[in-house]
Amino acid sequence: MSHVPFQERGDVAVEADYVVVGTGAGGAAAAVTLARSGASVLMVEAGPWRDPHDYAWSTYGAMRDMMDDWGATITMGRALWPVVQARLVGGTTVINSAICVRTPEDIFGEWARNHGITGIQERVWRFQDQLEDELCVAETAPAAMGRSNELALKADAAGNFGGHVIKRYAKGCIGSGQCLQGCREMKKQSTNLNYVPEVLRRGGQILSSAPAERILFEGRRAVGVTGRFVHPQTRAKGAKFTARARKGVFVAASVTHSPVLLRRSGLTHAAVGAGFRAHPGTGVFGIYDEPVDQNFGVTQGWASTKYREDAGLKLETLSIPMEMAISRLAGGGRAFMERVVGYRHIAMWVHALRARSVGTVGAGWGGKPVIRYSFDEYDMARFRAGLVKMSEMHFAAGARVVIPGVHGIPYSLGPTELDVLANAPLDPKRYVAILSHLFGGCMMGTDPTRSVCDTRGKVHGHEGLYVADASLMPDNIGVNPQHTIMALAMIVAEGALGIA
Amino acid sequence: MTWLVRSTMCDMMPAVGDQPGLADAGVDTFLATVRRESPMLVWAGLVLGAVIFAVTPVITVYVPLPSFLLPAGLRDTHANRICSTRFYLLRQAVFLLKMYACMCWGQDAAVRRRFNIAAYPADPGTFRTT
Repeated sequence: MSHVPFQERGDVAVEADYVVVGTGAGGAAAAVTLARSGASVLMVEAGPWRDPHDYAWSTYGAMRDMMDDWGATITMGRALWPVVQARLVGGTTVINSAICVRTPEDIFGEWARNHGITGIQERVWRFQDQLEDELCVAETAPAAMGRSNELALKADAAGNFGGHVIKRYAKGCIGSGQCLQGCREMKKQSTNLNYVPEVLRRGGQILSSAPAERILFEGRRAVGVTGRFVHPQTRAKGAKFTARARKGVFVAASVTHSPVLLRRSGLTHAAVGAGFRAHPGTGVFGIYDEPVDQNFGVTQGWASTKYREDAGLKLETLSIPMEMAISRLAGGGRAFMERVVGYRHIAMWVHALRARSVGTVGAGWGGKPVIRYSFDEYDMARFRAGLVKMSEMHFAAGARVVIPGVHGIPYSLGPTELDVLANAPLDPKRYVAILSHLFGGCMMGTDPTRSVCDTRGKVHGHEGLYVADASLMPDNIGVNPQHTIMALAMIVAEGALGIA
Repeated sequence: MTWLVRSTMCDMMPAVGDQPGLADAGVDTFLATVRRESPMLVWAGLVLGAVIFAVTPVITVYVPLPSFLLPAGLRDTHANRICSTRFYLLRQAVFLLKMYACMCWGQDAAVRRRFNIAAYPADPGTFRTT
């Protein structure tokens, strides 16, 4: 049987050449690369397998059915910022906006200088060519853009913000605005629709609702993983499973879970869980005289990387479901509800910061990941500058006022009041941010005292154990990471197969 | 404690003009669902937020009464002030409650129609079992 879902009782024991923990961008890309070489592959996924007709419609349903820990994972630090990750077959590729950005050239230079990672630039880009072809990467069609994205294009034309229409892993996106809840139209090319089924067609297997609890070792060689099934609805523990690997184990359980799995399995090296980085992002609402109806059209259609190198900023449009967007309007009671009345006139645009702040990932109560992460003042200043830049964009597009969402300054600001925002206090507790791009925790590098893996993803000091997700990446990259994660995972898989 | 969670959520999202409030948007069904389905920590967070909302009028409107005993006008002032309080942890605890209130309100079909957004069909909650 190729798919083993939740099992209540009776131990499950399966075996393959390679066991891959996780089926998101990294896990699925590694698994398909291994399977294409003729190896037998067993995927072990913590979440259930939901097909597009199983996807939730509502935000509540998405939190319940798709998000890791009901979306309740937060950073512990000076501010409590939520971390967005999915937990189902396909991982976060099911709920992201499928944005495809090539790994910037300067990243390879930084990795070489700081971590000794060399010789992968051409291979990463070659895999990215392949991915773009296989996953139908294309610019969003004008008909699917929606008013919020059109306004961003207008702002860009007026203010030269260096933007472009986003390229996405989407095949004929029709702009249904449901990216966060999963694309029921099957336009978004999440890995549960392509690479995971391909692995099964090539003779692979998958355990779903099967969170790996421990890696099994024989001496220094990883020989499998074990855990217990968890029911997707009741969260009741079910049967024990043991997935044995004849040749190797790939850990691609996410930046938050991969280091915890390694640590729980006895890898107590100080580098495990170190080097956590992110692109914290936040949104600025522009209020327009005309209705924007931001929930019509593609979730993210416009972006700019013009400010990436100097300010560390990536600017993007982002439409989130109404129920999430209104919760960001300040206050409560009648004053709050009077603000909600104008929802149709809101466009939300966001920035993501290539933050230099570094945190850690460890295991907390019940084995859940605990992320310790705080911004330093330098990052906060750039974060605030991003809010100013987004506000300038809104005004260039004709917004009447902006709502920056910073506690302690006026609720809305007009075009002549941006100095208030530019001088807002830098206390992170005053700002709302979300971490959706995560990096590190099992960093690769040549120095085994500072890194967990070598430069091809093999865990230092162990045989047959590889990491193949964003936790490998020793730095944040300043652009959406899915394309880089997938290419790196393919390189790690080729390394395990003995392909240089 | 469901009554307290309900009461505080409804205080946060009252009807305004002809715009329905949370009390008109299926809050009872929603809370019964959340109570039944959510992990213990999520529900505990909502209860904590509701308790904080209830006991803090003394710092927002300077009246030493729980919020549910305040007259309507003061309760509304309290709702606005506690959601914007300068005390970060209080603000965050109450925000969780507000977020769930917004999720409930925003998935109501009549509310969505008002904002020109299609109603959500029922969430299937299904997954592959074979």
